[in-house]
Amino acid sequence: MSVRNSSARTTGTRSNPTNSRSSRRRTFFTVAVLFAVIGVFLVRLVDIQVVQADSLTADSVGNRSVGQVVYGSRGEIVDANGVVLAGTVMRYNITMSPVNATPFKRIVDGEKVEISVAEAAAEIGAATGQTGDAILLTLSTALEANAKANFAYIAQKVDVDVLRAVQDLHIPWTYSENSPSRVYPNGAVAGNVLGFLSGEGVPQAGLESGQDACLASTNGSETYEKGADGVRIPGSSVTSTAAVDGGDVVTTIDSDLQWFVQQTLAARAQETGAAWATAVVQDAKTGKLLAVADYPSVDPNNVGGTENPDDRGSRAFTQSFEPGSTFKALTAASVLDAGVATLGTGVVAPYRYLPSNGANINDSHSHPDQQMTMTGVLIDSSNTGMSKFGELLTDQQRYDYMKAFGVGSATETGFPREDGGILHPAGEWDNQTSYATMFGQGLTTTALQVSSMYQTIANDGVRMPVQLVEGCRQSDGTVTNVPDATGTRVLSESAANDTSDILEMVYQKSWVQSKWNIPGYRVAAKTGTAQMPDGKGGYSNGYLVSVSGFAPADDPQYVVSVSIADPVKLNTSAAPAPVFQEIMSQVLKKYRAVPSGATAPDLPSTW
Amino acid sequence: MSDNLARAFIEHESSEREPFAAPARRGFRLVAPAPSRRARPRIFYALTAVAGMAAIIVAQLLLSVGISQGAYEISSLQSSQSELGRTAASVSEDLVRVSSPQSLAANAEALGMVTNSNPVYLRLSNGAVSGAPASASGSQAGAASLVPNALLTGSTLLTQLPDDAAATSGAVTITSAPVVPAGLAAPTTR
Repeated sequence: MSVRNSSARTTGTRSNPTNSRSSRRRTFFTVAVLFAVIGVFLVRLVDIQVVQADSLTADSVGNRSVGQVVYGSRGEIVDANGVVLAGTVMRYNITMSPVNATPFKRIVDGEKVEISVAEAAAEIGAATGQTGDAILLTLSTALEANAKANFAYIAQKVDVDVLRAVQDLHIPWTYSENSPSRVYPNGAVAGNVLGFLSGEGVPQAGLESGQDACLASTNGSETYEKGADGVRIPGSSVTSTAAVDGGDVVTTIDSDLQWFVQQTLAARAQETGAAWATAVVQDAKTGKLLAVADYPSVDPNNVGGTENPDDRGSRAFTQSFEPGSTFKALTAASVLDAGVATLGTGVVAPYRYLPSNGANINDSHSHPDQQMTMTGVLIDSSNTGMSKFGELLTDQQRYDYMKAFGVGSATETGFPREDGGILHPAGEWDNQTSYATMFGQGLTTTALQVSSMYQTIANDGVRMPVQLVEGCRQSDGTVTNVPDATGTRVLSESAANDTSDILEMVYQKSWVQSKWNIPGYRVAAKTGTAQMPDGKGGYSNGYLVSVSGFAPADDPQYVVSVSIADPVKLNTSAAPAPVFQEIMSQVLKKYRAVPSGATAPDLPSTW
Repeated sequence: MSDNLARAFIEHESSEREPFAAPARRGFRLVAPAPSRRARPRIFYALTAVAGMAAIIVAQLLLSVGISQGAYEISSLQSSQSELGRTAASVSEDLVRVSSPQSLAANAEALGMVTNSNPVYLRLSNGAVSGAPASASGSQAGAASLVPNALLTGSTLLTQLPDDAAATSGAVTITSAPVVPAGLAAPTTR
């Protein structure tokens, strides 16, 4: 406009047509240039604000801000009393920038001292427990692989003391990063049941694996802007995704009892040269597992310390075996419940019994024909006597009882890779199996299933679901995934109590009585000695010896089942009997079970 | 803008045409003195505005200095909080470790304690003893821990503490019988 103004001034008049046209042209030209410039700006504006907006924003955020992972904490596994069996702790990785590893200056006693790379490496090594040379080797290896290597680990998963020792060195080319780790404060106590994680934090076995849905956490992230000096710019938090902590798994295990059971079992297993052994303590009224011990055990803090991978799991859950004579209690209970025999019924038990179907049954030691009641058959653990009682029921009837007792199907614990054992349908039993299943051969059970059988007898004939986990405790205190605790009646109360009385007689009259005697308490128990398979379809020379029972027999509260596989130095039930005695005594003492007042029943064993 | 320019243009033309267009002059006379009358207040306002802006800038500067000072304080408090958190976690980890059954059993054994797996109960109401009393055999599996705990590697038992440490912990133990206040009568047990 000023152009037009000045032109008007210089020409002096507006009436000149030539001047007027030239002025208009200039105006048009100016406006056109102006629009062109505005157009360029507009295009650029749209380009920046709309077309490239996202990538530019991302670039700018990347330049200004730092992102960091906010770690969610994997849930704890706790015992019935809240003792932490598995927890998450923060560990730290010490890292370095090899390309920046150069000598630096440090002020020592007010003087600047130059610290060489080798000196720095030696100082780090002293803090992390490595040699300085090892660190220099890591450094040179990283630089050989990539001359501009900016990252290498010095030490991984060190605790806070080591981290602080390294940080106090103030070496400019060392850094640290968080690395959440799993820790098992009680070591091998329940280690076989707990399982463990891989180095990358992936669950490998046991409850860690089976309860991962409850335990797993979700990491969050946080991005904020920081100044050149690393201080967060106030109010600059850009995005943050909250981390979600995992829930806690509450188990039914009692860690103190678990330790005692493991210690006692391991001592006896070593003493007798056993291949492996398990012990189970179960609450008779609720079906809750109070202790599940395995030998050999694994310390989840040091999984590599247990060399055989098979020893790292829990055989109580995953290893089924032919139970042998402890199974006779189930047959006796079935016969009594069906009403086909009573405590007074007598049979003649020969050394060798050849039933009409062609089977061939004999006892473990030679003896003349004996007139026995069911009590006598169980005290002597006579196979022939048991066969004469067992054949009073059809195969199908006995099969149905076994299924009801939980034989042939995995228990309700939901433990990963739990073995259900082998129980073929009654129709598939051959003549020998038909009789062998009466005394615990020709089928397999886990230690847990045997324990559950005795729990059923102890609990007046009501089988409770075997329970290892109370539930998943969320951060707000609510417990979810609570397992069903509805019992099922397997036996009539009188049949269960009669069986209990027989087992009490077994406890009193057995040849191992002096080895499992618990003064002051009435106990019901049965031994078992079963040949072990050789893995080729036959039997080996090894025996699986076991004892299962419950106490106090007048008001059963606890079931203990001990199994020892192939104790080469003592292959009879004298091997597990003292373990049963010590564990049961400890259980009764720990839970303050009142000593039995009434005297035990006295049933006739002969007729 | 256009308003301003138009006025300047007219003013210019009017000054050129002044001798010929007397009636038009009267209208501009009224307008012209007004801006000159307002000139002084404008400077005053400008100064006020500038001063105000300066004040705002200074205030904002001071505020942001204050906020960033706070940021440094928050930053240092946060880092000391995280350091203290690490210390707390590390100490409680130690506590949990030494309260593990293995550690307790080893220490109890080192102090000469044995387990008695034979429970006997005394009923206070009638003085009856239930259970069969027997002396503790310490039957429990000997001294060696058969349930390993890698976390306890390198930890020392109470009895193996160096003398000075033992003396320090000894100072905590009660060396004399607790003094019973005279005012409290001994309860009568029936």
